[in-house]
Amino acid sequence: MLTSVVHVCLAGLSTGMFIWLVASGLTLIFGVLGVLNFAHGSFYMLGAYFCYTLLRVMGNNFWLGLLLGPLCVCVVGYLIERYFLRYVYHLALPYQLLLTFAFVLIFDDLVKIVWGPGSIGSPSVAGLAGSVPILGRNFPVYNIFIMVVGPLVALGMWAMLERTWWGRIIRASSSDREMASAIGVKVPALFTAVFVFGTWLGAVGGGLAAPYVGLLTPGMGESIIIDAFVVVVIGGLGSLKGAFLGALIIGLLSSFGTRYIPTFDMFLTFILMAAVLLWKPEGFFGEAK
Amino acid sequence: MRKAFVITLCILSLAGLILLGLYGTRFALYLATRIMILSIFAMGYNILFGKTGLLSFGHGAFYAVGAYGMALFSLHINPHPLACIVAGLCLAFIFSLIIGFFCVRHTEIYFAMLTLAFGMMVFSLIWNLRDITGGDDGLVGISRAPIELGLFSIPIAKANQFYFLVVFFFVLSIAVIYVINNSPFGLVLSGIRENDRRIEFAGLPLRKFRLAAFVISGVFAGLAGSLSALLESNTDPFSAHWSHSAEPILVSLIGGIQTFTGPLIGSVIFVWLREIIERFTQNWMLWFGLILLLIIMGFRGGVVGVLSRIHRIILGSDTQSQRIA
Amino acid sequence: MEEKGFTRRDFMKAGLLTAAASALGPGVLRPTGLWAGTSKIKGPIKVGYQAIMSGALAGYGEFHKMGVIMAAEEINASGGIAGAKLEVQFRDSTLKKPQAIKNARYFVDSWGADFLAGVDSSGQALALAPVIAELDKVIIITHAATEKLTEQQVYKKGIRQIFRISSPTYQDGNAAAFVAKDLPAKSWATISPKYEYGYTCWRMFKNTLSILKPGASFIAESWAPFGTTDFRPHINTILDAKPDGLYSTEWAGELITFVKQAKQAGLFDKIKHVMFPVGAAMDVLEGLGKEMPDNIWISGRYFFLYPDNNQNREWVARFKKRWNHYPAYVSETGYSAMFAIKKAVEEAGSKETRKVINAMEGMMLDSPAGYRIFRKEDHQAIYDVPWGLTKTDPRYPFKIMGKQILVPAKDCFNRPPFEGPGTKPPF
Repeated sequence: MLTSVVHVCLAGLSTGMFIWLVASGLTLIFGVLGVLNFAHGSFYMLGAYFCYTLLRVMGNNFWLGLLLGPLCVCVVGYLIERYFLRYVYHLALPYQLLLTFAFVLIFDDLVKIVWGPGSIGSPSVAGLAGSVPILGRNFPVYNIFIMVVGPLVALGMWAMLERTWWGRIIRASSSDREMASAIGVKVPALFTAVFVFGTWLGAVGGGLAAPYVGLLTPGMGESIIIDAFVVVVIGGLGSLKGAFLGALIIGLLSSFGTRYIPTFDMFLTFILMAAVLLWKPEGFFGEAK
Repeated sequence: MRKAFVITLCILSLAGLILLGLYGTRFALYLATRIMILSIFAMGYNILFGKTGLLSFGHGAFYAVGAYGMALFSLHINPHPLACIVAGLCLAFIFSLIIGFFCVRHTEIYFAMLTLAFGMMVFSLIWNLRDITGGDDGLVGISRAPIELGLFSIPIAKANQFYFLVVFFFVLSIAVIYVINNSPFGLVLSGIRENDRRIEFAGLPLRKFRLAAFVISGVFAGLAGSLSALLESNTDPFSAHWSHSAEPILVSLIGGIQTFTGPLIGSVIFVWLREIIERFTQNWMLWFGLILLLIIMGFRGGVVGVLSRIHRIILGSDTQSQRIA
Repeated sequence: MEEKGFTRRDFMKAGLLTAAASALGPGVLRPTGLWAGTSKIKGPIKVGYQAIMSGALAGYGEFHKMGVIMAAEEINASGGIAGAKLEVQFRDSTLKKPQAIKNARYFVDSWGADFLAGVDSSGQALALAPVIAELDKVIIITHAATEKLTEQQVYKKGIRQIFRISSPTYQDGNAAAFVAKDLPAKSWATISPKYEYGYTCWRMFKNTLSILKPGASFIAESWAPFGTTDFRPHINTILDAKPDGLYSTEWAGELITFVKQAKQAGLFDKIKHVMFPVGAAMDVLEGLGKEMPDNIWISGRYFFLYPDNNQNREWVARFKKRWNHYPAYVSETGYSAMFAIKKAVEEAGSKETRKVINAMEGMMLDSPAGYRIFRKEDHQAIYDVPWGLTKTDPRYPFKIMGKQILVPAKDCFNRPPFEGPGTKPPF
């Protein structure tokens, strides 16, 4: 009984941290740029594929792949922001959503063309491959690694936003674009930087996800993006703290739900999402905008 | 003079539809039927989206509810097509009323996310209530029984016969939506998009108007769904998925968002374009994405916007088309 | 008002263009010259083939295409079908039903297909049934496994145009039970897909095994939704139940993910008898490579090392040479579907639907997977696919079937009339 509960808990926590890694960039981009980026799932997918290719090229060095792969995706993110997204900030919500949606379609097919339509098995990471027994049941080391990385990313982002000059500028620009540009902040360049950073987070999420899921497939971003959306929404759109907590809640809910409620389904997570939107749309921490 | 012109064109269009029904090939009829069903879905959707500016990601659910309501009535109670369609509409009405009641409390992205959540709940229900909905297999074997009208009955089993039933609902929908748009109610809705504060100051119950627009568009989605169930003789759980809810948005965008004919023309282009793309490549997503990109970056008014711009250049300035472009 | 009239006219134009394009389609694409005149049968034999070619399962479409293209090349190199050229066109089925219907209608009504083939999803196959009846062309299903297609649509409703060349859910559910009855496992559990395919197979497995081995118990079920990337909660459910055996109809990418995660959790150490009815698919075996544990029971719709005869060995060698790949089961079913069409048309001496159906009913086809017989009543191809235990072999970079058990199709496939005593195994 104890083994069961502990392991269900651990599975939930690792799932939650995994979703958080993807949702972090999504919520940052929304918080600052006000754009809900469908293509974030594509960055996740591209991150996974680039990391995989570089890892293969560099003699199976996972860390080198993880370092360089997301940088390639950052170039893609830069081009998208600089030459497309920038021109729709002032437009209504549907244009922004559909623009990013168009990129989802394009990247899904491009990945299929470049890397082939079949799924690719992802190699496990040297040094993090095995499992450790916890209360008589094995738990993968890699999941423990994800459970450490998740909070570190959260802490890093928090420190950057709250404790650095850059963070203050970003926060200032997201709450009042005109005022920020009036005091000399180059808002367009700042937005590009934030978007590229968000892209990087999504791509790192993808690079880390490949060994976690064990597999790369064209269209792999679509299954994660809705989970990430839910997390971003229940955390209060644009709130990092909220998204972190939201990811933990969704992770635990799906783990406990799957284990203890036989009829469990995504239905419950969407009820939770609707309930939060109705009663506390600003999220758990009430960072109303 | 202009009015006469418009009326003439309407009559010509109708004549064209009838001629197509009489002489078109089976595949042309099938595509035309799908275009009309998508048009009904998109034009209804545009009452909410184009008029009040609310972006819903959940209208696929009402499409599906219409289809399943129609199919369940047909399979278990009575296969009379009109009765089944009415059953589908009633179910879509109930669902859109309940879901709309919650959703119209918000606007903008919060509204979009709320509709996404409710839409996915419906999707999940359809997927899991297997005894009722058939799960992922959907409901199959929906028959196109003849329409019994007391003294005589109209067969709709064949493609060209069914085509005319859809033409009937298509024309009816256009007429109803036209009347709604030009009624005082429609004018209030347009006012909501332009300035919702002003509507509130005028003492009008903003939420009720939004809800009404939501329900009307939901019922049209249900009509499209029930017609599609008859067309394909099955129901598809994926029609409730959010990706299907994005279709009327795409269609409106291609045609032109804030125009009456935009969704209609958008539907023609959407179906036709995809058919053409699929003829020369299996990577249709790539091409479709590129075209979408082009429209958003270059032709934001959609086809109707571009056309009216050209029109304006040819005919000189025209206040009405300026408003639309 | 002006611009509305203008656009209405354009709508009409677009509509007429659509009509014109679809009317012109067949005319433009109709081949002339060499093949048109010389054949005994008029014109080329056109096959419209649809499979999933986008998204997570796009690899399946690629494998379908490999088999079909190779078949078309071989058939055309040796004189075509009764002297007529075989032409194949492919379309992405996207797994959505309206798309499958549109594809079928396009193939027949616009392109002028004589035959249809392909289809991966069971829901799509069922949705296509009435459309096939209306279009009145023979379709050969090469992947979709639902038994409802042949039992209800063909046998009960009499839609005779539908044939299936791949093995149905009987192979996944019933045959598995025959293998499981001899294993020293009493309690069974499942992690399977949360849709009809998963439910049906588990129900068949339970029903058949309960009869074959009255003491068997079924103690836990965990249903994973389509697109699951995290199986750990499901694995916990199974480990808590402590069954002797695990049965799972997860397939394709999700099976790869599941096996990797189950291995990390030590599931294969704790549960000794594990059965994957579609584990012998090449995408799974290659995707897992050495990570697939040994001594797992796997099966599929065809496995490239069975039957161990010259014909199959030569075919696999040709396939490997052509594509630098081992054939997946959908490659074999796609390939054989083309040869089934060839044989049926040549026997019928015509490509007319009625005559072809009559020729195909009860037809025996010699194929890489062995002899297939299209059962007269339900048009299901009866052929044997083995169950086998995974083992390491230095000749291959992936696990293959070692010890094999063959449950003959005639013993484990449901029999017409499909209702009442004596229609379900054991017989």
